[in-house]
Amino acid sequence: MTKKRADVVLDARQMEAPEPMVQTMEALDSLGRSETLLVLLPREPYPLYRALELNGFAWQTERLPDGTVAVLIRHQAP
Amino acid sequence: MQALLSFDQSPPFAAPLRFFLTAPLFAILASLLLLWSGPELFASRWTPAALALTHLITVGFLLQVMLGAMLQILPVVAGANVPWPLAIARLVHLAVGLGALLLAAAFLGNQPLAFRLAAALIGSGVAVFVLAAGHSLLGVSSADSTIRGLKAALIGLSVTVTLGMLLATALDGSFELPLMQVTSIHLGWGLGGWSAVLLAAVAFIVVPMFQMTPAYPEWFARRFAWTMLALLSLWSAADIADWQEPAALLASAAVLMVAAFAGLTLQLQRRSKRARVDATQRYWSMAMLCTLAACAVWLAASAFPAIAERHEWPLLCGVLALNGGLMSATSGMLYKIVPFLVWSHLQNLGRGRVLAPNMNKVIAGKAIDRQMYAHFVALALLLAATLWPGWFVYPAGLALLASNACLLRNVLRAVWFYRGQRLKIEALTPRPATSS
Repeated sequence: MTKKRADVVLDARQMEAPEPMVQTMEALDSLGRSETLLVLLPREPYPLYRALELNGFAWQTERLPDGTVAVLIRHQAP
Repeated sequence: MQALLSFDQSPPFAAPLRFFLTAPLFAILASLLLLWSGPELFASRWTPAALALTHLITVGFLLQVMLGAMLQILPVVAGANVPWPLAIARLVHLAVGLGALLLAAAFLGNQPLAFRLAAALIGSGVAVFVLAAGHSLLGVSSADSTIRGLKAALIGLSVTVTLGMLLATALDGSFELPLMQVTSIHLGWGLGGWSAVLLAAVAFIVVPMFQMTPAYPEWFARRFAWTMLALLSLWSAADIADWQEPAALLASAAVLMVAAFAGLTLQLQRRSKRARVDATQRYWSMAMLCTLAACAVWLAASAFPAIAERHEWPLLCGVLALNGGLMSATSGMLYKIVPFLVWSHLQNLGRGRVLAPNMNKVIAGKAIDRQMYAHFVALALLLAATLWPGWFVYPAGLALLASNACLLRNVLRAVWFYRGQRLKIEALTPRPATSS
Protein backbone atom coordinates (compact mmCIF):
# COMPACT_ATOMS: atom_id res chain seq x y z
CA MET A 1 0.00 0.00 0.00
CA THR A 2 1.91 3.05 -1.18
CA LYS A 3 1.06 6.71 -1.58
CA LYS A 4 1.51 6.24 -5.32
CA ARG A 5 -1.45 3.83 -5.45
CA ALA A 6 -3.89 6.27 -3.83
CA ASP A 7 -5.67 9.11 -5.62
CA VAL A 8 -5.96 11.21 -2.48
CA VAL A 9 -3.58 11.07 0.53
CA LEU A 10 -4.44 12.47 3.95
CA ASP A 11 -1.56 12.55 6.43
CA ALA A 12 -3.29 12.90 9.80
CA ARG A 13 -0.34 11.83 11.95
CA GLN A 14 0.30 15.29 13.36
CA MET A 15 -3.35 16.32 13.78
CA GLU A 16 -5.07 16.74 17.12
CA ALA A 17 -8.23 14.65 17.66
CA PRO A 18 -10.92 14.80 16.33
CA GLU A 19 -9.38 16.50 13.25
CA PRO A 20 -8.28 13.20 11.60
CA MET A 21 -11.87 11.91 11.74
CA VAL A 22 -13.37 15.19 10.52
CA GLN A 23 -10.92 15.54 7.62
CA THR A 24 -11.25 11.87 6.62
CA MET A 25 -15.03 12.16 6.48
CA GLU A 26 -14.75 15.36 4.45
CA ALA A 27 -12.33 13.71 2.02
CA LEU A 28 -14.64 10.70 1.66
CA ASP A 29 -17.57 12.96 0.94
CA SER A 30 -15.91 14.15 -2.25
CA LEU A 31 -14.22 10.84 -3.18
CA GLY A 32 -15.10 9.69 -6.72
CA ARG A 33 -16.63 6.20 -7.26
CA SER A 34 -13.39 4.78 -8.65
CA GLU A 35 -10.98 6.81 -6.48
CA THR A 36 -9.04 5.71 -3.42
CA LEU A 37 -8.16 7.64 -0.26
CA LEU A 38 -5.09 6.77 1.80
CA VAL A 39 -5.21 7.98 5.41
CA LEU A 40 -2.01 7.92 7.50
CA LEU A 41 -2.63 7.77 11.24
CA PRO A 42 -0.59 7.26 14.42
CA ARG A 43 -2.84 4.41 15.60
CA GLU A 44 -5.70 2.05 14.67
CA PRO A 45 -8.88 4.16 14.03
CA TYR A 46 -11.67 1.91 15.40
CA PRO A 47 -14.47 4.53 15.20
CA LEU A 48 -13.50 5.24 11.59
CA TYR A 49 -13.99 1.56 10.63
CA ARG A 50 -17.55 1.65 11.91
CA ALA A 51 -18.21 4.91 10.05
CA LEU A 52 -16.79 3.39 6.83
CA GLU A 53 -18.99 0.32 7.20
CA LEU A 54 -22.09 2.46 7.75
CA ASN A 55 -21.39 4.65 4.76
CA GLY A 56 -20.63 1.89 2.25
CA PHE A 57 -16.84 2.02 2.01
CA ALA A 58 -14.32 -0.83 1.87
CA TRP A 59 -10.87 -0.50 3.44
CA GLN A 60 -7.52 -2.19 3.92
CA THR A 61 -5.29 -1.45 6.89
CA GLU A 62 -1.54 -1.87 7.02
CA ARG A 63 0.89 -1.11 9.86
CA LEU A 64 4.09 0.41 8.48
CA PRO A 65 7.53 -0.26 10.06
CA ASP A 66 7.60 3.21 11.70
CA GLY A 67 4.30 2.46 13.53
CA THR A 68 2.14 4.47 11.10
CA VAL A 69 -1.26 2.91 10.41
CA ALA A 70 -2.16 3.29 6.73
CA VAL A 71 -5.84 2.87 5.77
CA LEU A 72 -6.65 2.64 2.05
CA ILE A 73 -10.34 3.40 1.45
CA ARG A 74 -12.57 3.02 -1.61
CA HIS A 75 -16.31 2.81 -2.31
CA GLN A 76 -17.73 -0.69 -1.92
CA ALA A 77 -18.52 -2.43 -5.19
CA PRO A 78 -22.26 -1.99 -5.93
CA MET B 1 -20.02 19.77 3.91
CA GLN B 2 -19.57 16.13 4.82
CA ALA B 3 -22.77 14.11 4.89
CA LEU B 4 -21.50 10.88 6.42
CA LEU B 5 -22.32 9.23 9.71
CA SER B 6 -19.58 8.60 12.18
CA PHE B 7 -19.84 7.21 15.69
CA ASP B 8 -23.13 5.33 15.86
CA GLN B 9 -21.63 2.73 18.20
CA SER B 10 -20.49 5.21 20.85
CA PRO B 11 -22.23 4.62 24.16
CA PRO B 12 -25.25 6.91 24.63
CA PHE B 13 -24.28 10.39 25.89
CA ALA B 14 -25.98 9.74 29.24
CA ALA B 15 -23.88 6.62 29.96
CA PRO B 16 -20.49 8.22 30.72
CA LEU B 17 -21.92 11.66 31.49
CA ARG B 18 -23.68 10.58 34.70
CA PHE B 19 -20.30 9.69 36.23
CA PHE B 20 -18.78 13.04 35.25
CA LEU B 21 -21.71 15.02 36.66
CA THR B 22 -21.77 13.39 40.09
CA ALA B 23 -17.99 13.10 40.65
CA PRO B 24 -17.56 16.83 41.52
CA LEU B 25 -20.44 16.48 44.02
CA PHE B 26 -18.37 13.97 46.01
CA ALA B 27 -15.38 16.32 46.02
CA ILE B 28 -17.74 19.08 47.25
CA LEU B 29 -18.88 16.74 50.04
CA ALA B 30 -15.21 16.08 50.86
CA SER B 31 -14.59 19.82 51.15
CA LEU B 32 -17.64 20.24 53.43
CA LEU B 33 -16.32 17.41 55.60
CA LEU B 34 -12.96 19.20 55.79
CA LEU B 35 -14.67 22.43 56.88
CA TRP B 36 -16.84 20.58 59.41
CA SER B 37 -13.96 18.55 60.93
CA GLY B 38 -11.41 21.35 61.08
CA PRO B 39 -7.72 20.86 61.91
CA GLU B 40 -8.38 17.58 63.80
CA LEU B 41 -8.88 15.81 60.48
CA PHE B 42 -5.16 16.11 59.81
CA ALA B 43 -4.10 14.76 63.23
CA SER B 44 -3.34 11.43 61.52
CA ARG B 45 -4.19 9.48 58.36
CA TRP B 46 -6.25 7.14 60.57
CA THR B 47 -8.80 9.66 61.90
CA PRO B 48 -12.35 8.67 60.87
CA ALA B 49 -12.74 12.00 59.06
CA ALA B 50 -9.46 11.55 57.13
CA LEU B 51 -10.53 8.04 56.07
CA ALA B 52 -14.00 9.27 55.07
CA LEU B 53 -12.49 12.17 53.10
CA THR B 54 -9.99 9.87 51.37
CA HIS B 55 -12.79 7.57 50.19
CA LEU B 56 -15.05 10.44 49.09
CA ILE B 57 -12.17 11.44 46.80
CA THR B 58 -11.00 7.97 45.72
CA VAL B 59 -14.37 6.22 45.28
CA GLY B 60 -16.70 9.21 44.91
CA PHE B 61 -14.60 11.36 42.59
CA LEU B 62 -11.74 9.37 41.05
CA LEU B 63 -13.38 5.96 40.60
CA GLN B 64 -16.47 7.57 39.06
CA VAL B 65 -14.49 9.66 36.56
CA MET B 66 -12.25 6.70 35.69
CA LEU B 67 -15.18 4.31 35.14
CA GLY B 68 -17.04 6.87 33.00
CA ALA B 69 -13.88 7.57 31.00
CA MET B 70 -13.26 3.85 30.46
CA LEU B 71 -16.81 3.38 29.12
CA GLN B 72 -16.03 6.04 26.53
CA ILE B 73 -12.43 5.05 25.82
CA LEU B 74 -12.95 1.30 25.27
CA PRO B 75 -14.86 1.60 21.95
CA VAL B 76 -12.58 4.36 20.64
CA VAL B 77 -9.15 2.91 21.41
CA ALA B 78 -9.87 -0.82 21.46
CA GLY B 79 -12.98 -1.15 19.29
CA ALA B 80 -14.47 -2.83 22.38
CA ASN B 81 -18.14 -2.05 22.90
CA VAL B 82 -19.47 -2.62 26.42
CA PRO B 83 -22.78 -4.53 26.14
CA TRP B 84 -25.95 -2.58 27.15
CA PRO B 85 -23.87 0.51 27.96
CA LEU B 86 -26.69 2.63 29.36
CA ALA B 87 -28.08 -0.09 31.64
CA ILE B 88 -24.59 -1.03 32.85
CA ALA B 89 -23.71 2.63 33.44
CA ARG B 90 -26.92 3.25 35.43
CA LEU B 91 -26.36 0.18 37.61
CA VAL B 92 -22.65 0.79 38.25
CA HIS B 93 -23.16 4.51 38.84
CA LEU B 94 -25.94 3.93 41.37
CA ALA B 95 -24.07 1.19 43.24
CA VAL B 96 -20.71 2.99 43.38
CA GLY B 97 -22.27 6.38 44.21
CA LEU B 98 -24.44 5.03 47.05
CA GLY B 99 -21.54 2.85 48.21
CA ALA B 100 -19.21 5.86 48.42
CA LEU B 101 -21.74 7.80 50.50
CA LEU B 102 -22.33 4.86 52.83
CA LEU B 103 -18.60 4.22 53.18
CA ALA B 104 -17.95 7.82 54.24
CA ALA B 105 -20.88 7.62 56.69
CA ALA B 106 -19.56 4.28 58.01
CA PHE B 107 -16.12 5.78 58.75
CA LEU B 108 -17.63 8.82 60.44
CA GLY B 109 -20.15 6.86 62.53
CA ASN B 110 -18.13 3.62 62.92
CA GLN B 111 -21.17 1.64 61.81
CA PRO B 112 -20.48 -2.04 60.99
CA LEU B 113 -23.75 -2.39 59.06
CA ALA B 114 -22.95 0.67 56.92
CA PHE B 115 -19.48 -0.78 56.21
CA ARG B 116 -21.01 -4.06 55.06
CA LEU B 117 -23.62 -2.35 52.89
CA ALA B 118 -21.00 -0.04 51.38
CA ALA B 119 -18.76 -3.04 50.63
CA ALA B 120 -21.65 -4.91 49.00
CA LEU B 121 -22.66 -1.90 46.87
CA ILE B 122 -19.17 -0.88 45.71
CA GLY B 123 -18.15 -4.53 45.26
CA SER B 124 -21.19 -5.40 43.15
CA GLY B 125 -20.98 -2.18 41.11
CA VAL B 126 -17.31 -2.74 40.31
CA ALA B 127 -17.91 -6.45 39.62
CA VAL B 128 -20.59 -5.58 37.05
CA PHE B 129 -18.25 -3.04 35.43
CA VAL B 130 -15.25 -5.38 35.36
CA LEU B 131 -17.33 -8.21 33.87
CA ALA B 132 -18.86 -5.93 31.21
CA ALA B 133 -15.56 -4.25 30.31
CA GLY B 134 -13.71 -7.57 30.45
CA HIS B 135 -16.33 -9.14 28.16
CA SER B 136 -15.92 -6.31 25.66
CA LEU B 137 -12.14 -6.82 25.66
CA LEU B 138 -12.38 -10.59 25.09
CA GLY B 139 -10.70 -11.41 21.81
CA VAL B 140 -9.16 -7.92 21.49
CA SER B 141 -5.43 -8.38 20.86
CA SER B 142 -3.10 -7.21 23.64
CA ALA B 143 -0.40 -6.19 21.16
CA ASP B 144 -1.17 -2.52 21.83
CA SER B 145 0.29 -1.08 25.06
CA THR B 146 -2.90 0.82 25.89
CA ILE B 147 -5.13 -2.23 25.48
CA ARG B 148 -2.73 -4.28 27.58
CA GLY B 149 -2.80 -1.52 30.22
CA LEU B 150 -6.61 -1.35 30.24
CA LYS B 151 -6.82 -5.11 30.81
CA ALA B 152 -4.21 -4.95 33.60
CA ALA B 153 -5.99 -1.99 35.22
CA LEU B 154 -9.20 -4.05 35.47
CA ILE B 155 -7.22 -6.67 37.43
CA GLY B 156 -5.73 -3.92 39.62
CA LEU B 157 -9.21 -2.52 40.30
CA SER B 158 -10.57 -5.98 41.18
CA VAL B 159 -7.76 -6.64 43.68
CA THR B 160 -8.14 -3.17 45.25
CA VAL B 161 -11.90 -3.49 45.72
CA THR B 162 -11.71 -7.10 46.96
CA LEU B 163 -9.21 -6.05 49.64
CA GLY B 164 -11.36 -3.03 50.48
CA MET B 165 -14.42 -5.28 50.92
CA LEU B 166 -12.40 -7.61 53.18
CA LEU B 167 -11.32 -4.64 55.31
CA ALA B 168 -14.83 -3.19 55.51
CA THR B 169 -16.31 -6.48 56.72
CA ALA B 170 -13.45 -7.25 59.14
CA LEU B 171 -13.56 -3.88 60.91
CA ASP B 172 -16.23 -5.06 63.39
CA GLY B 173 -13.92 -7.87 64.50
CA SER B 174 -16.09 -10.64 63.07
CA PHE B 175 -12.94 -12.31 61.70
CA GLU B 176 -9.20 -11.96 62.19
CA LEU B 177 -7.36 -9.83 59.67
CA PRO B 178 -4.04 -7.98 60.00
CA LEU B 179 -5.80 -4.65 59.35
CA MET B 180 -2.74 -2.37 58.97
CA GLN B 181 -1.00 -4.80 56.61
CA VAL B 182 -4.08 -5.38 54.43
CA THR B 183 -4.78 -1.62 54.40
CA SER B 184 -1.28 -0.98 53.11
CA ILE B 185 -1.71 -3.62 50.36
CA HIS B 186 -5.18 -2.24 49.48
CA LEU B 187 -3.66 1.24 49.14
CA GLY B 188 -0.69 -0.03 47.10
CA TRP B 189 -2.98 -1.76 44.61
CA GLY B 190 -5.39 1.18 44.47
CA LEU B 191 -2.66 3.68 43.67
CA GLY B 192 -0.30 1.44 41.68
CA GLY B 193 -2.27 -1.47 40.21
CA TRP B 194 -5.42 0.46 39.29
CA SER B 195 -4.75 4.22 39.13
CA ALA B 196 -1.16 4.36 37.84
CA VAL B 197 -1.69 1.50 35.37
CA LEU B 198 -4.90 3.05 34.00
CA LEU B 199 -3.41 6.55 33.87
CA ALA B 200 -0.35 5.29 32.01
CA ALA B 201 -2.46 3.22 29.58
CA VAL B 202 -4.51 6.30 28.73
CA ALA B 203 -1.43 8.55 28.65
CA PHE B 204 0.26 6.37 26.01
CA ILE B 205 -2.51 7.54 23.63
CA VAL B 206 -3.75 10.89 24.84
CA VAL B 207 -0.45 12.62 25.62
CA PRO B 208 0.89 12.23 22.04
CA MET B 209 -2.61 12.73 20.54
CA PHE B 210 -3.77 15.86 22.40
CA GLN B 211 -0.46 17.37 23.47
CA MET B 212 1.33 16.75 20.14
CA THR B 213 4.33 15.07 21.75
CA PRO B 214 6.50 12.23 20.43
CA ALA B 215 5.23 8.74 21.37
CA TYR B 216 6.33 7.03 24.61
CA PRO B 217 9.27 4.69 24.01
CA GLU B 218 7.89 1.30 22.94
CA TRP B 219 10.08 -0.64 25.41
CA PHE B 220 8.60 1.34 28.31
CA ALA B 221 4.95 1.41 27.22
CA ARG B 222 4.99 -2.31 26.38
CA ARG B 223 6.24 -3.39 29.81
CA PHE B 224 4.77 -0.85 32.23
CA ALA B 225 1.41 -2.41 33.13
CA TRP B 226 2.41 -6.02 33.68
CA THR B 227 5.68 -5.08 35.41
CA MET B 228 3.63 -2.99 37.86
CA LEU B 229 1.22 -5.87 38.51
CA ALA B 230 4.11 -8.34 38.90
CA LEU B 231 5.93 -6.04 41.36
CA LEU B 232 2.75 -5.44 43.37
CA SER B 233 1.96 -9.18 43.50
CA LEU B 234 5.47 -10.05 44.69
CA TRP B 235 5.45 -7.17 47.20
CA SER B 236 2.05 -8.25 48.57
CA ALA B 237 3.27 -11.85 48.99
CA ALA B 238 6.53 -10.73 50.65
CA ASP B 239 4.66 -8.36 52.94
CA ILE B 240 2.16 -11.04 54.03
CA ALA B 241 5.04 -13.49 54.61
CA ASP B 242 6.72 -10.78 56.71
CA TRP B 243 9.89 -10.73 54.56
CA GLN B 244 10.56 -7.13 55.38
CA GLU B 245 13.65 -6.44 53.29
CA PRO B 246 12.42 -7.96 50.00
CA ALA B 247 9.02 -6.31 50.57
CA ALA B 248 10.66 -2.89 51.02
CA LEU B 249 12.77 -3.38 47.88
CA LEU B 250 9.78 -4.47 45.77
CA ALA B 251 7.66 -1.56 47.02
CA SER B 252 10.48 0.86 46.18
CA ALA B 253 10.77 -0.65 42.70
CA ALA B 254 7.03 -0.12 42.09
CA VAL B 255 7.26 3.49 43.31
CA LEU B 256 10.28 4.07 41.04
CA MET B 257 8.30 2.70 38.07
CA VAL B 258 5.56 5.26 38.73
CA ALA B 259 8.18 8.00 39.10
CA ALA B 260 9.76 6.93 35.79
CA PHE B 261 6.36 7.21 34.07
CA ALA B 262 5.82 10.70 35.51
CA GLY B 263 9.36 11.83 34.60
CA LEU B 264 9.06 10.45 31.08
CA THR B 265 5.70 12.19 30.56
CA LEU B 266 7.18 15.53 31.67
CA GLN B 267 10.12 15.03 29.32
CA LEU B 268 7.75 14.28 26.40
CA GLN B 269 5.64 17.31 27.25
CA ARG B 270 8.73 19.52 26.89
CA ARG B 271 8.89 18.37 23.25
CA SER B 272 5.23 19.21 22.55
CA LYS B 273 4.56 20.79 19.15
CA ARG B 274 1.38 22.54 20.27
CA ALA B 275 1.50 26.25 19.51
CA ARG B 276 -0.42 27.10 22.68
CA VAL B 277 -0.34 25.10 25.91
CA ASP B 278 -3.92 24.34 26.93
CA ALA B 279 -5.49 23.55 30.31
CA THR B 280 -5.31 19.77 29.82
CA GLN B 281 -1.57 20.00 29.18
CA ARG B 282 -1.04 22.17 32.29
CA TYR B 283 -3.21 19.83 34.33
CA TRP B 284 -1.11 16.86 33.18
CA SER B 285 2.16 18.66 33.95
CA MET B 286 0.93 19.43 37.47
CA ALA B 287 -0.25 15.82 37.86
CA MET B 288 3.16 14.45 36.87
CA LEU B 289 5.08 16.92 39.08
CA CYS B 290 2.91 15.98 42.07
CA THR B 291 3.29 12.27 41.30
CA LEU B 292 7.07 12.70 41.27
CA ALA B 293 6.89 14.62 44.55
CA ALA B 294 4.66 11.93 46.13
CA CYS B 295 7.14 9.23 45.06
CA ALA B 296 10.04 11.29 46.51
CA VAL B 297 8.24 11.74 49.86
CA TRP B 298 7.44 8.00 50.00
CA LEU B 299 11.05 7.02 49.21
CA ALA B 300 12.40 9.55 51.74
CA ALA B 301 10.11 8.17 54.46
CA SER B 302 11.26 4.61 53.63
CA ALA B 303 14.92 5.57 53.77
CA PHE B 304 15.00 7.95 56.75
CA PRO B 305 13.39 6.89 60.07
CA ALA B 306 13.34 10.53 61.19
CA ILE B 307 10.84 11.29 58.39
CA ALA B 308 8.92 8.02 58.79
CA GLU B 309 8.23 8.86 62.45
CA ARG B 310 6.47 12.11 61.58
CA HIS B 311 2.68 11.76 61.24
CA GLU B 312 2.56 14.39 58.47
CA TRP B 313 4.33 12.41 55.76
CA PRO B 314 1.50 9.99 54.82
CA LEU B 315 -0.92 12.95 54.70
CA LEU B 316 1.47 14.95 52.50
CA CYS B 317 2.05 11.92 50.27
CA GLY B 318 -1.72 11.26 50.05
CA VAL B 319 -2.59 14.85 49.08
CA LEU B 320 0.22 14.89 46.49
CA ALA B 321 -0.87 11.57 44.96
CA LEU B 322 -4.66 11.98 45.12
CA ASN B 323 -5.36 15.71 44.77
CA GLY B 324 -2.16 16.66 42.98
CA GLY B 325 -1.63 13.60 40.78
CA LEU B 326 -4.91 11.82 40.11
CA MET B 327 -7.46 14.64 40.51
CA SER B 328 -5.36 16.92 38.28
CA ALA B 329 -4.98 14.29 35.55
CA THR B 330 -8.65 13.24 35.63
CA SER B 331 -9.88 16.86 35.65
CA GLY B 332 -7.61 17.61 32.68
CA MET B 333 -8.99 14.58 30.85
CA LEU B 334 -12.59 15.64 31.53
CA TYR B 335 -11.90 18.79 29.50
CA LYS B 336 -11.07 16.61 26.49
CA ILE B 337 -13.56 13.78 27.01
CA VAL B 338 -16.70 15.86 27.71
CA PRO B 339 -16.32 18.25 24.72
CA PHE B 340 -15.47 15.27 22.49
CA LEU B 341 -18.63 13.47 23.66
CA VAL B 342 -20.75 16.55 22.96
CA TRP B 343 -19.14 17.06 19.56
CA SER B 344 -19.44 13.42 18.43
CA HIS B 345 -23.09 13.08 19.53
CA LEU B 346 -24.02 16.37 17.85
CA GLN B 347 -22.17 15.25 14.73
CA ASN B 348 -24.32 12.11 14.63
CA LEU B 349 -27.56 13.94 15.39
CA GLY B 350 -26.86 16.43 12.59
CA ARG B 351 -26.52 13.50 10.13
CA GLY B 352 -24.37 15.64 7.86
CA ARG B 353 -27.09 18.26 7.36
CA VAL B 354 -25.97 20.27 10.41
CA LEU B 355 -22.28 20.21 11.32
CA ALA B 356 -21.32 20.05 15.00
CA PRO B 357 -19.63 23.21 16.32
CA ASN B 358 -15.91 23.16 17.04
CA MET B 359 -15.00 21.18 20.19
CA ASN B 360 -13.34 24.25 21.71
CA LYS B 361 -16.71 26.03 21.87
CA VAL B 362 -18.32 23.43 24.15
CA ILE B 363 -16.76 24.84 27.36
CA ALA B 364 -15.21 28.32 27.17
CA GLY B 365 -11.42 28.30 27.56
CA LYS B 366 -11.58 31.05 30.21
CA ALA B 367 -14.00 29.03 32.35
CA ILE B 368 -11.67 26.02 32.13
CA ASP B 369 -8.63 28.14 33.06
CA ARG B 370 -10.43 29.67 36.05
CA GLN B 371 -11.36 26.21 37.35
CA MET B 372 -7.82 24.96 36.82
CA TYR B 373 -6.29 27.84 38.81
CA ALA B 374 -8.87 27.29 41.57
CA HIS B 375 -7.79 23.63 41.68
CA PHE B 376 -4.10 24.61 41.91
CA VAL B 377 -4.84 27.05 44.77
CA ALA B 378 -6.84 24.33 46.59
CA LEU B 379 -3.96 21.91 46.09
CA ALA B 380 -1.38 24.35 47.50
CA LEU B 381 -3.60 25.07 50.51
CA LEU B 382 -4.27 21.36 51.13
CA LEU B 383 -0.52 20.66 51.06
CA ALA B 384 0.04 23.49 53.53
CA ALA B 385 -2.81 22.13 55.70
CA THR B 386 -1.07 18.77 56.07
CA LEU B 387 1.87 20.60 57.73
CA TRP B 388 0.07 23.50 59.49
CA PRO B 389 -3.55 22.36 59.85
CA GLY B 390 -4.48 25.11 62.32
CA TRP B 391 -3.69 27.80 59.76
CA PHE B 392 -4.72 26.25 56.49
CA VAL B 393 -7.56 23.71 56.91
CA TYR B 394 -10.41 26.22 56.49
CA PRO B 395 -8.93 28.09 53.49
CA ALA B 396 -8.12 24.66 51.94
CA GLY B 397 -11.70 23.44 52.49
CA LEU B 398 -13.14 26.60 50.93
CA ALA B 399 -10.78 26.41 47.95
CA LEU B 400 -11.59 22.72 47.37
CA LEU B 401 -15.29 23.61 47.50
CA ALA B 402 -14.84 26.46 45.01
CA SER B 403 -12.72 24.48 42.53
CA ASN B 404 -15.16 21.56 42.43
CA ALA B 405 -18.21 23.83 42.21
CA CYS B 406 -16.48 25.38 39.15
CA LEU B 407 -15.79 21.90 37.75
CA LEU B 408 -19.45 20.93 38.16
CA ARG B 409 -20.53 24.19 36.51
CA ASN B 410 -18.19 23.55 33.58
CA VAL B 411 -19.54 20.01 33.01
CA LEU B 412 -23.09 21.41 33.27
CA ARG B 413 -22.15 24.11 30.72
CA ALA B 414 -21.25 21.32 28.28
CA VAL B 415 -24.63 19.65 28.90
CA TRP B 416 -26.51 22.93 28.35
CA PHE B 417 -24.49 23.56 25.19
CA TYR B 418 -25.41 20.08 23.93
CA ARG B 419 -29.10 20.62 24.67
CA GLY B 420 -29.12 24.01 22.95
CA GLN B 421 -27.45 22.61 19.82
CA ARG B 422 -29.75 19.58 19.84
CA LEU B 423 -32.81 21.85 19.77
CA LYS B 424 -31.29 23.72 16.81
CA ILE B 425 -30.69 20.44 14.98
CA GLU B 426 -34.23 19.27 15.69
CA ALA B 427 -35.56 22.52 14.28
CA LEU B 428 -33.46 22.23 11.11
CA THR B 429 -33.91 18.54 10.35
CA PRO B 430 -37.23 16.85 9.55
CA ARG B 431 -36.45 13.68 11.56
CA PRO B 432 -36.47 14.22 15.35
CA ALA B 433 -33.10 13.68 17.04
CA THR B 434 -33.28 10.74 19.41
CA SER B 435 -29.86 10.40 21.06
CA SER B 436 -30.18 10.81 24.85
